[in-house]
Amino acid sequence: MKTIRNLKGPALVLSLLTCLWVIVILMLALLKPSAFSLSTTTTILQFSTILALVSLGQAIVILAGGAGIDLSVGGNVSLSAILGMLALKAGLPPSLLPIACIAIGALLGAANGLLVTRLAILPLIATLGTLFVYSGVAVAITGGAALSGVPAWLLVWGRGVVAGVPVPFLTLAVPAFIVAGIILTWTSWGRWVFAMGFNERSARLVGIPVDRARLLLYAISGALAGAAALISIAWLGSARPNIGQNLELESLTAAMLGGIAISGGLGGVGGVMAAVILLVTLKTGLLQLNVNTIWQVGIVGALLLLVLLAERLSQRWR
Amino acid sequence: MRQSRTALHALNGREWSLLAACAVTILLFSVASPYFATSGNAGTILRNSIELLLAGLGMTLLLAMGGIDVSIGIVMGLAAIGVGNALGLQMNPVLTALIGPAIGAALGFITATVVVLGRVPAIVGTLGLLGVYRTAIFVLLGGQWLSGLPTGLTNLLSVSPLGIPFAAWAIAAVYLAVWMALRRAPYGVHLLAIGNSEEKARLSGIAVVKVRIVTFVISGALTGLAATFYVANYRNVEMTIGSSLSLDAIAAVVLGGTSIMGGRCSLIGTVLGVLLLRILQNGLLLVGVPSLWQPVVTGGLLIGVLAFESLANRISIANAGWMRR
Amino acid sequence: MRAYFNKVLAVSALAIAVSTAAFAADKPKVAFVPQLIGIPYFNAMEAGGKRAAGELGVDFIYSGPVDTNPVDQLQIVQNLIDQGVNAVSVSVLDASSIAPVVEAAKAKGIKLFTSDSDAPDSGRAVYVAQATDEGLGTAIIDELVKRVGEDAKIGIVSGEATASNLNAWIGFMQKQAAAKYPKLKLLEPQYAGGTAQRAAQIAGDLMTANPDIKAIIAVASSTCPGVAQAIETAGKIGSVIGTGYCSPNTARSYLKSGAFGFTVLWDPAQLGYLTVWAGKQLIDGKAFAAENTVPGFTSPVTYDASKGILLLGPPAIFTADNVDKFDF
Repeated sequence: MKTIRNLKGPALVLSLLTCLWVIVILMLALLKPSAFSLSTTTTILQFSTILALVSLGQAIVILAGGAGIDLSVGGNVSLSAILGMLALKAGLPPSLLPIACIAIGALLGAANGLLVTRLAILPLIATLGTLFVYSGVAVAITGGAALSGVPAWLLVWGRGVVAGVPVPFLTLAVPAFIVAGIILTWTSWGRWVFAMGFNERSARLVGIPVDRARLLLYAISGALAGAAALISIAWLGSARPNIGQNLELESLTAAMLGGIAISGGLGGVGGVMAAVILLVTLKTGLLQLNVNTIWQVGIVGALLLLVLLAERLSQRWR
Repeated sequence: MRQSRTALHALNGREWSLLAACAVTILLFSVASPYFATSGNAGTILRNSIELLLAGLGMTLLLAMGGIDVSIGIVMGLAAIGVGNALGLQMNPVLTALIGPAIGAALGFITATVVVLGRVPAIVGTLGLLGVYRTAIFVLLGGQWLSGLPTGLTNLLSVSPLGIPFAAWAIAAVYLAVWMALRRAPYGVHLLAIGNSEEKARLSGIAVVKVRIVTFVISGALTGLAATFYVANYRNVEMTIGSSLSLDAIAAVVLGGTSIMGGRCSLIGTVLGVLLLRILQNGLLLVGVPSLWQPVVTGGLLIGVLAFESLANRISIANAGWMRR
Repeated sequence: MRAYFNKVLAVSALAIAVSTAAFAADKPKVAFVPQLIGIPYFNAMEAGGKRAAGELGVDFIYSGPVDTNPVDQLQIVQNLIDQGVNAVSVSVLDASSIAPVVEAAKAKGIKLFTSDSDAPDSGRAVYVAQATDEGLGTAIIDELVKRVGEDAKIGIVSGEATASNLNAWIGFMQKQAAAKYPKLKLLEPQYAGGTAQRAAQIAGDLMTANPDIKAIIAVASSTCPGVAQAIETAGKIGSVIGTGYCSPNTARSYLKSGAFGFTVLWDPAQLGYLTVWAGKQLIDGKAFAAENTVPGFTSPVTYDASKGILLLGPPAIFTADNVDKFDF
């Protein structure tokens, strides 16, 4: 117990999440041993991919402080998917589809960044507005219909599985997290991000280009959303205009569970990945146990509250 | 002192712009569609605004305090279940009507416990509660809907004393009460002070915890009142009830001039913001714009207004600096 | 720190190693995944499915998403496949709800098929249909024209723009109107999402924008209460006829008050029963004949081999006269 008390920050979060994950695994082991198969692991990773990418984008935006948040990620994913497929239909060479999705996502994210940095609109409101616009446009221009016509080679990539690990997870999600982790922990860029989040005034005084950095981070978050859109197209075989529904709240939950402080400046991407996997494992476990799906939202909500309260209490004990 | 005077000035500016915007849109739609400028249509718009006006009032107080609540839609749902069940049991209509605010206030207190006493940041705390409440709705509804509820409550609330619908009286009364609390009672000063800076408010001796709890309870009660009207108007409680209420309320309130950072609020602005949104939704459908574009208009309007103001501020600051030289 | 994490890893590894049990095979399992839980229509399907399970000797699993995101539906389907459920039927939100897993299901010998809403080219084993989409679309138009005449103006309020089965019905409504009743003015469909408030708001605005409107069709079952309420509130009972694919329980008070003239539906409990029966047939490897006798069904159920559609039968029309005979 003493070791737990002495932990703080990312280590505390990781250990909390690991404990919860072990609890879930043990419950499954007791109640449904048949759930332990390679296909379940594949399923978990498959459904973690989109959420992981979007949560990473959310996390870096929150880390940079300034009441940063990105409520529009869901709309961004939907619109990037739709615009990518529309571009394909309009004559874009299929080989450019992946780049197109990511580029569109980055542009949409940059629009958020401009609203926040150049026009000084608070991120919560700016991204709320763009959430309405992006998700609304995605549904309105397609009339709700899905756009099919995904090139076959992309489907092979999107649905491929290597040694039980889905290919998109391996080739997009994992590298994104590794790169983000390396940049945040070991480069001066990363230190800038933490500095901006921790104390914006000091960061400005020291000469960090806070506004430009935030603009870039919103663009990156958008690019990650575009990547998630690409994965949804490659996996599902069509671009759905409501694919991003609820992603804003889910990614926020994952980021918070992963130890990112809502005010910025604290947290690590490892925690975010761990939180995403925990959430999906929990959902999968509940599904395997045939618990009514409505309990998922409640359990996740309660979990979020417990973890946050626990962190608050642990701060009190010191 | 100077800051509050400037804040007051900016507030009136936004309110005037919204009023102008409302007038312009009403004019444009009246010209574009012969069915817009009728008393029946005006009644329809106002009836569709009831829940958002009430929930928006609660959200105004929360935002002014520097807090937020993304779970008010679900809170309205839970209160609506209570009202719907009471209605089904043929309880006294007046009592049934009061159940909504009662449940809403109780849930507001629970939210306050988590956010204020548990010291969890409001946005995340209400996010977690959102999930818990959604499960609660399902469990309480048993997976069904409450459909075709008896009309006792509808009849009670459709009376029109002096020719003005009861809903309008209720909303006016509630807004007046809140306005008095803000302007004439210490509560208002304390609320805005907490919104400006919680630390400084606490150091000045304001009972921060109490004020915050009271605000969450008031917001919950207002949401519960919205639930009463919802059940009376639509006589149906479904699983997805209130699903867009919290984001719509935040959009309308911010449009109205209340800042998310806290420290200032505008009740008139909230009313104008809600009305403008509903007028746009109604008018666009009347001129033939498909309903799917309505969220785009909401978002665009929000961004447009804020962007415009931000640019206007920059220009005026630049001009002021130039003139001083 | 490191020792702590090592302990944690060791415990979970042990747990996984210890619990590699194969689960004993007992009754075959048939699952149904609705589009959304908490809707009376799908609850009725669940009830029918449970009854069939009891009578046919299978285990019935009912699990659905809490929102209309196809990824959530896909997650449920994938997990059912992972569990080794023998037959999985889905009322697909869209073809993408099952597209990625069709091959995997076939490889595992799991029968994946659709019910209530179809994904025609996905490779599903069969589609258990309440009626053909064409039949549903034309039935409502034909019944309406009987009541409002051939040159009336009719509005359409649907739920989610992204639900493929609703859009299919609307498409056939429009086709029927264009082909058989050229003077009929069918307005562009509007989408209300899932709440009664939005449905009422949009239906009300439709009536204001078109004062000569004679009828409004509520396509999604979630829009029924809102549309009916809007007609009542506007005081247009009698001048505007509401209708839709609404269950008798939801529509009863509106049929009695006159806001709704009639509703078109089928018995979802029967559909649920048929779904489980079809699942059992697939598991047993029995092919579907052109006409099949199903226990408890008064008339045989037809099967269209070219399209792979198992048809429940013609849709039923509910009016104020016969609505009390039904309870779903």
